[in-house]
Amino acid sequence: MNLLDIRNLSIELISENKNILAVDKVSLIMKEGEVRGLVGESGSGKSLLAQAIVGVLNDKWKVHADRFHWRGVDLLRLSIAERKALISRDIAMIFQEPMACLDPTTTIKNQLAEAIDTSSLTGFFWQKQRQRNEAAIKLLHKVGIKKHNACLNSYPHQLTDALCQRVMIAIALARRPILLIADEPTAAMENTNQGQIFRLLASLNQLKNMSILLISHDLENITHWTHKITVMYSGQFVEAGTTEQIFKNPLHPYTKALVDSSPSANIELPAKSRLMALPGTIPILQHLPIGCRLGPRCPRAQQACVQAPTITSFHDHKVSCHYPLIPTKAKRKAIKEVC
Amino acid sequence: MLIFTLRRLSLFIFTMLVLTLLSFSLSFLFPGDSIINISGAINATPAQLIEIEKHYHTESNIFWQYITYLHNIVNGELGISMASQSDIATEVLNLLPATIELSLVALFIAMFVGIPLGFIAAIKHNKTTDNIIVSVSMLGYSIPVFWLGILAILTFSINLGWLPSAGQISLLFEIELITGIQFIDILLSDSPYKWQAFSDATAHIILPACVIAVAPATIFIRLARTSMIEVLETSYIRAANAKGLTFRQMIFRHAIRNALIQIIRHVGLQFANLVTIAMVTEVIFSWPGIGRWLIESIYQRDYTAIQSGLLVLSCFIFIVHILTDFIYAALNPLARGNKYGS
Repeated sequence: MNLLDIRNLSIELISENKNILAVDKVSLIMKEGEVRGLVGESGSGKSLLAQAIVGVLNDKWKVHADRFHWRGVDLLRLSIAERKALISRDIAMIFQEPMACLDPTTTIKNQLAEAIDTSSLTGFFWQKQRQRNEAAIKLLHKVGIKKHNACLNSYPHQLTDALCQRVMIAIALARRPILLIADEPTAAMENTNQGQIFRLLASLNQLKNMSILLISHDLENITHWTHKITVMYSGQFVEAGTTEQIFKNPLHPYTKALVDSSPSANIELPAKSRLMALPGTIPILQHLPIGCRLGPRCPRAQQACVQAPTITSFHDHKVSCHYPLIPTKAKRKAIKEVC
Repeated sequence: MLIFTLRRLSLFIFTMLVLTLLSFSLSFLFPGDSIINISGAINATPAQLIEIEKHYHTESNIFWQYITYLHNIVNGELGISMASQSDIATEVLNLLPATIELSLVALFIAMFVGIPLGFIAAIKHNKTTDNIIVSVSMLGYSIPVFWLGILAILTFSINLGWLPSAGQISLLFEIELITGIQFIDILLSDSPYKWQAFSDATAHIILPACVIAVAPATIFIRLARTSMIEVLETSYIRAANAKGLTFRQMIFRHAIRNALIQIIRHVGLQFANLVTIAMVTEVIFSWPGIGRWLIESIYQRDYTAIQSGLLVLSCFIFIVHILTDFIYAALNPLARGNKYGS
């Protein structure tokens, strides 16, 4: 059974004269125990999508979807309160800039303790208080913080970024979530710290069978850790498949450009020559192109691209393009099914 | 925390030095003889005048005169009033507590009404509740205090007859002056009519305190509203939301404390404004405070009293300012620790 099944999720920014479609009909399917990467440039709507799943977008945004299933439960049929209860029980999220995501005036202890589920505690309130503290210490051990007392009694500004992110992960783990959404967990972090955080996430995935949705703008950085990858561009779905498919055999011109632009793909390139890159920049929200939003930058764009392409599936490798880069051999075998 | 305290203390001392410098220079800037301005002895005989000049070291240079002036202030010698020829220090000691009482009560009313209203407005941002609160606060801010005071007397004292219009307490009650703060004195006294006196004093303070509180309360409404809106947009509130906290928990555990931090900083600043309003209100309600005394001194060209009154009032405002700094530090861990490079 699919853990998370989202079909055609759109997010609109409500503005005075015209609503802006920031995320345009994106579909996302996650299976139990998988690590899925969600990749795109900054401004491609990855974070919006994640926040829409958790339901923490504010009133300025309007979300609608054709299907939104969580472990077989249709969330669209539930009331807002029921949906929030279900999601906060099963899905946890960690954000970029962990230090800004912790309340600066409250100790780590209190912030960690309030995330612990009250129903897991027994006895009178003083016993509960002790259990709460013990649970908090256990959580810190789980994320690899050994000096738990020093950490519990400090304020967020006294810890490093990586420690704050560990605390955020500990807070996320407090409710034993089934899915962890990590929104650029290592942005603006040292390389060694990045490795630590990713290793921690990978071990959580392996030991606790926790599914992880890893959001990043850096395709190369997360390929070690993900099983599957979804690529987005400017709020539109681009391509989804296993990490290998995406890397070895990208079908969409954008994914191809993304892979080609990474330094490791250009290892034979002579020193000081330009990296492969698409011309132009990602369009701003006020001036989105019609049809396929990559159109103006796409090297393979043709007349048909002014219509939004439908999603085509080649052996579970989904792509949303009129002219995908199909290798000739695969082309013959391809079973074109329109979703 | 010790370093923080020492820092505030040194700031206090230096600011007071600058203030004394100002009030010292006033005795030269006011018309008339500077020695009479500073001592207040207008009816002194030539022999007494020589005595006073010796006391104030007028023959030595200006620096020594200033040091003598400081020495006198520390010893509590503020000179005598030009108008009444009574000792200013004792008058100030009698009058200042009444002003402290009135302005602090007004400050608490303003805070307890203004800040929660501002929070409610922020939570209901862009809804009807918000619009009503903001427009009422705009209205309250634009009403001049002397007019509001007279209007309040007209409505509540004369037309409705609910509350007394003038004074601090009814003349029937004899309360011994111990601390100077009326409410504490009433509680300390052993009069059989203690509680009647207490309720009478309460009835007397309500109207002036509310009139003073109107303008600061509207400022607190707007401060609280903007800081709460700001806090509700931050990532840690979003993270707390994602953590599964209910809206109520989020507001009470995280949002209010962070919003208060930003407001507390402004309370000290607004207090100076509040004392100015309190001075005008004291005149309207014949409140026996230092503000009314100071305004009367200005009418009577009582330069000695003006100098000392300014000094004492600004000292009081500054002490409140430092107290709010301490509350700020208690609420905000970022302000407490040692900062490098500051």
